[in-house]
Amino acid sequence: MASTRKTLLKLDNVTMKFGGVTALNGVNLEVKEGEILALIGPNGAGKTTVFNVITGVYKQTSGIVDFDGISLGNQKRYQVTALGVARTFQNIRLWGDMTALENVITATDVHKKSGLVGALFGFPRARREETENRERAMEILRFIGIDEYSDRLAKNLPYGVQRRLEIARALGTGPKLVLLDEPAAGFNPAEKVELAATIKRVRDAGYTVLLIEHDMSLIMGISDRVVVLDFGTKIADDIPSVVQKDPRVIEAYLGVPADAS
Amino acid sequence: MKIRNYWNLRDFGANLWENASRPKRVAIALISIGFVALLPFMGASFLATPIASYDAVLVYPVGMFVLMSLGLNIVVGKSGMLDLGYVAFFAIGAYTMAILGTTTKLNTWEVMPIGIALSMIAGVLLGIPTLRLRGDYLAIVTLGFGEIVRLVLLNSSWSKGPNGIANVPMPPNIGPLKFELENQKVFFWVVMAMILLTIWMIRRLTVRRPGRAWEAIRQDEDAAELMGVHTLKYKIWSFTLGAAVGGAAGVLYASKNLYIAPEMFTLNVSILILACVVFGGIGNIWGVVIGATILGYLPDRIRFISDARLLVFGLVLVIVMNFRPDGLLPRKKREKAIVKREANA
Repeated sequence: MASTRKTLLKLDNVTMKFGGVTALNGVNLEVKEGEILALIGPNGAGKTTVFNVITGVYKQTSGIVDFDGISLGNQKRYQVTALGVARTFQNIRLWGDMTALENVITATDVHKKSGLVGALFGFPRARREETENRERAMEILRFIGIDEYSDRLAKNLPYGVQRRLEIARALGTGPKLVLLDEPAAGFNPAEKVELAATIKRVRDAGYTVLLIEHDMSLIMGISDRVVVLDFGTKIADDIPSVVQKDPRVIEAYLGVPADAS
Repeated sequence: MKIRNYWNLRDFGANLWENASRPKRVAIALISIGFVALLPFMGASFLATPIASYDAVLVYPVGMFVLMSLGLNIVVGKSGMLDLGYVAFFAIGAYTMAILGTTTKLNTWEVMPIGIALSMIAGVLLGIPTLRLRGDYLAIVTLGFGEIVRLVLLNSSWSKGPNGIANVPMPPNIGPLKFELENQKVFFWVVMAMILLTIWMIRRLTVRRPGRAWEAIRQDEDAAELMGVHTLKYKIWSFTLGAAVGGAAGVLYASKNLYIAPEMFTLNVSILILACVVFGGIGNIWGVVIGATILGYLPDRIRFISDARLLVFGLVLVIVMNFRPDGLLPRKKREKAIVKREANA
């Protein structure tokens, strides 16, 4: 059923080397429109590197990253975001001295046309876009369920709210594809259940989700497909129930003591 | 730390402003502007500066320092880029005025836009290659730029080298307001108008998209770029606007001082302006205004102790920065969106 859907993101034989270290070794990956794809693997497997290659933080050594028919190889980071890829960060990187609402509004600016001159002289378009951004950002905060914190400084928010604000900020850029980098890190089981529901809602609202996560129960519960990386190589790519039983996956997680976390 | 609560003028002022109705705000603004405009008439009071002319001190250093600090604050305070060569833009403005004023018939007001434009062009030309650098590296490159401009002025024939340029014309009179050397009140009002314009500009930009972009860049540039902020563009804008304010100050300075020479545009000026910004409260407009006023005014107020005045000046800096490391009026950290509620406005 998934194969009939359109491919949104395609990594074709992507290799990423840092000096002598090969972080990604010929990775092929397809994300279909409207699915939740989980990317898992032991620590150091190259999961975050995949995100960094997609969003233009690193330039891949070889291979092609194709997003919705456009090659992301030569795009600047902000252009990648404008094309419709947004991400969160493993270690929270909100703008701490801005309020939650401002964090999201700043993200919504990406698709707006008015610039500095318009803002300075208060051109109608600039004023209209400010209002639109504000309403849109508030809508997103409500959608994620953290609108009560809108006027609080991001750095003063509880940890769980900060994590969710990261998702809200990513949605603020109006993406087609959302990359979530360990959104449940540090969450207790109750919070994880809540987050799983949130991620499902994000998908049902029309976003495609690529998710890095360690928590197996979370992944098995929500993802349509699971891709497993180990030492920069893809070792499995299937529906959760199959991946769970794959001997190579079990070996990658349990059979290599040096990688145990 | 308790002392801070009593000292929290910033929140006191901000509350006063936010709780005021529109007519009340207009009244507060008009009274403040009126008070500042009357400052030149208070020369007989305790404010008087011994030896130096009080009027003149209000224009330079005080007024000029405030103007330049506000310009530098856009770069250093708003977008977090350390610029140690700010004097270069001041020099470009001043030399534009001096050269055009002595060789053509253009008056100060006609040179003003040219001076601002040239400073902005210099800002863009310097910005495009260097703003990819961050932190200390950017500071060193800008420091170099400031010195390059000064050395070029010192060694070129068109700038008359170390002799400098004399007989720069004064601005033409504005109606009944006459520009005179002995009585610099009109100069002060012109500087004040330029300061108000700069404050208006910064406030406008801060509550809208550019302000948010700068704020995001200052706090986490990588995150900003990954959230779609065109960081290089907004950094160049910030640099260019700072340059424009510096250039405008330079044009007025040349036509007030009537004589300029390269030795007026040394690294010291850049550092002093930066000190004004940091002393007053980096990133906060009112802090910067107060900081620059004090640092501009103090050395002339205590001129009677002659040689010891720089020592006292340095001591004041050290003591104040010890007690208030974030400056006199630090950046606003209150829990309230600074985004203008356009719907109500």
